[in-house]
Amino acid sequence: MLKNLKEWILVFLIIGAIMMVGNWVGYDVMPLDSIPGLAALIGISLAGLIIHRLLPFQIPSIAYIGIIGLVLTLPGVPGSEQIVAWTAQVNLLAIATPILAYAGVSIGRSWYDFVQLGWKTIVVGMFVLLGTFLGSALIAEVVLRMQGII
Amino acid sequence: MAEQTQKLWKDWRLHLVVLAIVIVTESIGVHSIPLGPGVILLLPMLYAVIIGLALYFTPLVKEKQSINAEPLVFLSVSVLIAKFGVNAGPAISQIIEAGPALLLQELGNLGTIFLALPIAVFLGIKRESIGMTHSIGREANLALITDKFGLSSPEGRGVMAMYIFGTVFGSIFIGLISGFLATVTPLHPLSFAMATGVGSGSMAAAALGPLVAAYPDMSEQLTAFSGVSNLISSVTGLYMSIFVGLPVTIKLYEILSRRKEAKVKGSVGYVKKP
Repeated sequence: MLKNLKEWILVFLIIGAIMMVGNWVGYDVMPLDSIPGLAALIGISLAGLIIHRLLPFQIPSIAYIGIIGLVLTLPGVPGSEQIVAWTAQVNLLAIATPILAYAGVSIGRSWYDFVQLGWKTIVVGMFVLLGTFLGSALIAEVVLRMQGII
Repeated sequence: MAEQTQKLWKDWRLHLVVLAIVIVTESIGVHSIPLGPGVILLLPMLYAVIIGLALYFTPLVKEKQSINAEPLVFLSVSVLIAKFGVNAGPAISQIIEAGPALLLQELGNLGTIFLALPIAVFLGIKRESIGMTHSIGREANLALITDKFGLSSPEGRGVMAMYIFGTVFGSIFIGLISGFLATVTPLHPLSFAMATGVGSGSMAAAALGPLVAAYPDMSEQLTAFSGVSNLISSVTGLYMSIFVGLPVTIKLYEILSRRKEAKVKGSVGYVKKP
């Protein structure tokens, strides 16, 4: 656990630094301004990973991470406004770009398998993604309209 | 997953490649292609996945980097999920108000069955189509189908094909259609934000990015709703597949293939029920 913790922290420092650079190059947020927000996000991620390790439930670690982030920023929770102000400096797209850069490098290995797939699989695959995305949006739209929210 | 993080930080070649990709793609910035009444948004993250994939075929990236990159996707996604969380807290009253929509849109993930399964059967795909269309076929579904049918069964081959398709093409495809659908259909961006919880972190990022870029004024609300949708999907997704998705897919497959059978009499396509 302790060894893992050290590894996690080192990896998060590297990922955080890359996100900081992206936030600077792409969205003009100076590194010093994004450091508190990145530190908060990484702290929340670490807490989620640790809790996931310690608790016996079959719940994915990202569920813990999301819930910790939500609870810490609920209105009225001490320090919530500070965390919101810090993390607002970290652009969502600056977080997403390194994720997909790592993803791109990682999917290279699957490329050979991918080109072996027939055209039928590609067609069906596109409709699978379209179906889940459009299906969810349609239901959300109907319910939100019925409630008069949009 | 945690065991794999051993020595990950030491792979400097990988981190420098990713840093270079980030600097280059963020410098290029967002570009948009008008397409009819809608817009296709090209974001740095989209270039990043394509450049990352292309670099795999250069001496810059070796097999080792590609293997190490996988757990790094998971760890960097956790930072994204934390960002989802801190956007959700301040928006809690809106989230509770929109609770019914957030919960019910989970059923929309069954849309893949009703849209893609008939197409798969029409194209002549047999029981593979059950594995292909019962869900978007990420890790959890791969495990579910393997457990139920075995990986070498037709269903197993189907889910494996979809897993490979989603791995390579998923985030690129959903990143391209998300912004376009939001600008071309009359549906509200909030509805699409709720739809981004598809059960894959990198696909969620790829789907939300264009929405945030197209509607910057709503960025925090969109992120909050996307985050809660992802949270709900990550907890309920697998159970939805076990108790609803897979049984519905099997039933619908039997109906569709029987109807097709009746039309094409004497074809060799009949598959016996196991």
